[in-house]
Amino acid sequence: MAGQSDPHISLFSAEELEFMAEDELIEIVPNMRMDPLNFICVIFKSGDFGPFFPQIASQVPLWLAVALKKRGKCAIRPPQWMSVENLTRVLEGERESQGAFQVLPFHYVEISRLLFDHAREDIPDMYMVRSLIEDIRDVRIHKVETSLEKFSGTSAVKIPNLSAMEVNIIRPFVGRALQAFYKHDNPEKIPDVDRASSAQTRAANNEPRVSATEEITDRFHF
Amino acid sequence: MKIKSVKLREAHEVSSNASFCSILWDLQAHHLVTASSSQPSISIHDPLLHSSPPRVLRHHRDGVTALAISPNSTCLASGSIDHSVKLYKFPGGEFETNITRFTLPIRALSFNKSGSMLAAAGDDEGIKLINTIDGSIARVLKGHRGPVTGLAFDPNGEYLASVDSIGTVIYWELQSGRTLYTLKGVAPDTGSDTSVLNVLSWSPDGETLAVPGMKNDIVMYDRDTAEKLFTLRGDHTQPICFMSWSPNGRYMATSSLDKQVLIWDVKRKQDIDRQKFDERICCMAWKPIGNALAVIDVMGKYGVWESVVPSSMKSPTEDIPNSQTRNSNGLLFFDEEDQDLSMSGSLSDLGEDSHGESEPPSRKRLRKQSAIDDDQHEDVYDELNLVRKTEPQRKVPRVNKENSDKDKDALKAMTAFRPKMQEAFQPGSTPPHPGKRHFLCYNMLGCITTIKHDEYSHIEIDFHDTSTGPRVPPMTDHYGFTMASLNENGSVFANPCKGEKNMSTLMYRPFRSWANNSEWYMRFEGEEVKAVALGSTWVAAVTSLNFLRIFTNGGLQKHILSLNGPVVTAAGFSNELAIVTHVSDCLPSNEQMLEFTLINISKGTQVFKGRLPLTPGSYLTWFGFSEEGQITSYDSKGILRVFTSQYGGTWLPLFSASKERKSGENYWVVGLNASKLFCVGCKNPDTFPQVLPKPVLTLLNLSFPLASSDLGEEALENEFMLNNLNLSQIQNRIEVTAGEGLDTSSLDDEAFDIEAAQDRCIFRLIASCCNSDKLVRAIELVKLLSIEKSVRGAIQLATALKLPILAERFNDILEERLGNKAEVSNTTALSSKHDPATKRSEILEPIVSSSSAKISAPLFTKKVKSLDRVKFGKQKTDSDQTTNLADSKEVKDAEKNGGSSHVSSVKEVKNLETRCPLNPFSKLPNIQEGKKVEEATRSQSKGPSNKSSNEEAKKVVGEVTGKQCQRPSNPFLKSTVK
Repeated sequence: MAGQSDPHISLFSAEELEFMAEDELIEIVPNMRMDPLNFICVIFKSGDFGPFFPQIASQVPLWLAVALKKRGKCAIRPPQWMSVENLTRVLEGERESQGAFQVLPFHYVEISRLLFDHAREDIPDMYMVRSLIEDIRDVRIHKVETSLEKFSGTSAVKIPNLSAMEVNIIRPFVGRALQAFYKHDNPEKIPDVDRASSAQTRAANNEPRVSATEEITDRFHF
Repeated sequence: MKIKSVKLREAHEVSSNASFCSILWDLQAHHLVTASSSQPSISIHDPLLHSSPPRVLRHHRDGVTALAISPNSTCLASGSIDHSVKLYKFPGGEFETNITRFTLPIRALSFNKSGSMLAAAGDDEGIKLINTIDGSIARVLKGHRGPVTGLAFDPNGEYLASVDSIGTVIYWELQSGRTLYTLKGVAPDTGSDTSVLNVLSWSPDGETLAVPGMKNDIVMYDRDTAEKLFTLRGDHTQPICFMSWSPNGRYMATSSLDKQVLIWDVKRKQDIDRQKFDERICCMAWKPIGNALAVIDVMGKYGVWESVVPSSMKSPTEDIPNSQTRNSNGLLFFDEEDQDLSMSGSLSDLGEDSHGESEPPSRKRLRKQSAIDDDQHEDVYDELNLVRKTEPQRKVPRVNKENSDKDKDALKAMTAFRPKMQEAFQPGSTPPHPGKRHFLCYNMLGCITTIKHDEYSHIEIDFHDTSTGPRVPPMTDHYGFTMASLNENGSVFANPCKGEKNMSTLMYRPFRSWANNSEWYMRFEGEEVKAVALGSTWVAAVTSLNFLRIFTNGGLQKHILSLNGPVVTAAGFSNELAIVTHVSDCLPSNEQMLEFTLINISKGTQVFKGRLPLTPGSYLTWFGFSEEGQITSYDSKGILRVFTSQYGGTWLPLFSASKERKSGENYWVVGLNASKLFCVGCKNPDTFPQVLPKPVLTLLNLSFPLASSDLGEEALENEFMLNNLNLSQIQNRIEVTAGEGLDTSSLDDEAFDIEAAQDRCIFRLIASCCNSDKLVRAIELVKLLSIEKSVRGAIQLATALKLPILAERFNDILEERLGNKAEVSNTTALSSKHDPATKRSEILEPIVSSSSAKISAPLFTKKVKSLDRVKFGKQKTDSDQTTNLADSKEVKDAEKNGGSSHVSSVKEVKNLETRCPLNPFSKLPNIQEGKKVEEATRSQSKGPSNKSSNEEAKKVVGEVTGKQCQRPSNPFLKSTVK
């Protein structure tokens, strides 16, 4: 897997996450007529998209939308959740509740980033939306960090509604931290634990080399 | 005197100190317009519905000081402290133009009788006379030394009277722009208080000019000599600040700084009613119809004083002096006018003289007059007046003809108050909105948008499909086009007639042309284009004279046809043009009476003509062709209707917005195809989209307004009906193309696809009928199946559902059908009997050919055919002996071949079973089918064989061959089972 080369930092690079997010579906309004596209596709039930008619909205993967947009063949319709009202509501929700996370698409950071880069004229109130999303992301990251402070000896961590980018940041640390907890709880089983816990946490990292305490203090100051 | 109280309600919030507010009625008293000089907004109220909020126009940046409405109530003008004069459409309130600007605030506005001229004045020096059509300034009248606060056009169109805040009244001659009389210091000096404006007003017959006097009175001046005639003096204790003549000129309402409003009987020079208000009333307007007076005070509160004039007296709207001009609107009119011209020439000369040097004498006369005036008896005055009248009365007919026509129209509109016939429109256009782009045309291909600038409009043509559509440069439009149509080849534009200078013009602009300068213009004199349409090789324009004019793409005038009524709209598609016209005035129930005509232009034929149905109480909002070329209408109640030639030409309701509507969306139709409606969803209360953001089409399914059936399968039933409709349309087209000798294979394929889809749909309906125990309906449905395979499927289904009686009936249907088919093929066989070779191939083909789908069916056919031959034999024994022999021989041949191809056929039948898309039960119930078919064949063959044993030998041969050829079919059916 991609992250294996450098286990210390995140499992995936931002580009890799973006690549994965490009498979999300998004609505476009083409301005040309095109026959259906038949892709080999594993994620969706079928890889058939289109046929496309001018001014009639149609669902395509984000990468296709971006490719068409670059050629000036379509307008991208920003998803429902990217409206100013919804984002304002989400931001309020994030600020109010300390523990829980608001519902946002798994790849919201990547999707919004791609749209800001390639389809700025299609997003109404682009600057407002952008700053809202940045705020939401900051609030959420902060929440993730503070919640990790309360992290204590458990075998599993459950954080609902965490997004891909956020999971990616905390995954290596949480994985190793869990291992470390396990190690300290059962000092006699150290050799087995490594393998067992790594299987549990599904982290690709098999060899924790840094001691847990060090790591935790390190990480708490991000 | 009875005191009635008038309730005032707030129209404009006036924060601190008193400010001048204006109020006026429209011609038909449907609307009240108010404005305040402390607020930039203008409100259009509906006097009947107080609860509904007024329409507010916010175009000014500062308080609105003056309002004026054109005499035909189509145009509203407003002047403001922000130095601008703006024109609006009325009653819509759409901003039209900034017609002029001053350097200081505007104080007074006035339209002339025909509405072609607007006078505007204010703190600036000079009164501007503006041509309302093109906004050009016809004249600037300079002479006042203070801010001009009141303007009044003489109803007969000769003079303009103006008054300023220091009390000077000036008579201007419009023709030359000269000052006729200057009456200094006749009105009160209002000083610098802008909440009090001196006003003046001509009586509706134009004979007298009323000006507030210095002694808290109203002074009447003569029209032609500017002599003081009489005064109205009564109980006002402070100077008069506003007055208004009743529409017939018998009464006058005056308001004074003492917060009283008095109603005067002008003839008797007596006040007949009064009312005291809390605040000073600064503006009043008589209701043009009825007996009411609208008032507004300096705090922005307005109200309507009902039944102002006691019922014992004549109504203020009775005998409106227009009757004079109407009476004289004959041949004599011109003679009189000529006389008058010479007369008035001398008169005005005289007037000028008096203005120049003989002012003191006239002053003297005035004083004398006023002395008599004060306590003059009525009859004495009348006598005097009669004498005086002889002179000016001759002048009355000088109102030009156009004006009197307009007056008549206005009168008509006043008397006849009923639902209006809908106006002509272009499908896919949106109403203009000041400062914003709007659609002239929007269809499935592209759109034409326009935005109005001061002097010109800017038109853009965009195709939805940017990759293939031609790229059209934007253009500047000096004509002010309001109608347009667009297709692949070009676009056509037209503008309505705006006065004499700006004739109605039609312009065509092709997109691709090998020749330069291939756009062309047509001008129409005395005629106005009402609707345009485009086809493949022609351009059509329908005009106000109910002419349909057809041009070629090159601009050749090809046909001019007369239509039956005023046009509503028109649409074109390749060779066909559809026009909707009014049949008659609308019904009292507010139903439009419309008619459509569908003509084929290249052939010069009328395809169809008939009434256009609409939902009760609605009007047509869209009209056009579907992608397949079916004419379609959409009305304001959201019902889409598609025309079909079935039943001698009828309209099918195919979509209902009210059934579809979710979250209060309105649908703005763009186009449709066989199964989908393309429209733009607009959030309530909008009924049409804006140009930006670009509208995105929504696809909606067409659906009949079905009753909710006990079966609960509306979706399937709808599909069933739609398929039927499409099938009939396709068959029509096949006939047409076949008639033209063209290749119909693609259409045939399409028809076959639809048939297959229809069978699938029916099959599902049968299943649901069987499940809910509607057996009779199931049988009806089975009869509608078009492919035998599906009937067999239905038999299987019935068997599987353990409905043996039904299965049996299905079986009967199948047999009957096979019989019919055989009959048909038999007759064809007989007709081609002299060509045995072809016939042989006909018979052999089904067995030998690898088109597996046909295998089982033809076997049946042949068998039944031979059976049939037995029946037919009776009649044809003698004549057909030879052929029958030949037949039997051939069948034998066929049998041999059949035997040889036996093995391969077995495989193919297997393929068939798995491949056939029509039979959803293809794989599983093979056993049943096999058995069933076997049974069927057996029972079929039994009966006839008994019969035939009694028949002649020849027929036996046929029968036997029938049996024989049946044999190969049975074994391999079984083999598939195993």
